[in-house]
Amino acid sequence: MRNRLKVLRAERNWSQADLAERLDVSRQSVNAIETGKYDPSLPLAFKIAAVFGLQIEQIFSADNVAEAAE
Amino acid sequence: MTCEFSAKPAARRYRRDFAIAMALYVALVIGAALIIRNFEAPQWLRIVLGLLPLAPALMMLRAYLVFLHAMDEFQRRLQTDALLIATGIIVFGTFAYGFLEEWAGLPHVPLIWVFPIFSFAFGVAHTIIRLRYK
Repeated sequence: MRNRLKVLRAERNWSQADLAERLDVSRQSVNAIETGKYDPSLPLAFKIAAVFGLQIEQIFSADNVAEAAE
Repeated sequence: MTCEFSAKPAARRYRRDFAIAMALYVALVIGAALIIRNFEAPQWLRIVLGLLPLAPALMMLRAYLVFLHAMDEFQRRLQTDALLIATGIIVFGTFAYGFLEEWAGLPHVPLIWVFPIFSFAFGVAHTIIRLRYK
């Protein structure tokens, strides 16, 4: 999974800790998601989308979506 | 402090509950050992005394489970991964050593060591897993 968390954070001038506070998770968790080392659950992905006021697809994209759709 | 993650009070509570259980454990073990060594305790009393340290151990387990459920999903994942690795080490380690004891005459290791070895393996596994996500 790829994500635009770092860019979206930068646009809002939020630190990882700021985003973590808004999501009620640890800063380590934000870092793991942002660096693509951990894929969030669907509920957490919805929460992230809500915090940024975006759709999940505008933040996360799977590398192999095209293949899966076939 | 901008980051006031909800697991922080949970971590404090865990440390407190764990310390209480640990203090109780030490007191019970010392007390029971003194009775066993200084008195001709009947078998039933030895069994009761032998089961006593289980109480604080279960208190530690409860404190850990409460803490685990207060964590976010990523932290919980690190914990469960580490638990699985520690379980594998203890299960396959004791399995293999059982054969070594029977067939190769290696010294007998008392079962009391299972819990501390499991805890140690969990600690090492958790540290290594955390470093991987740095």
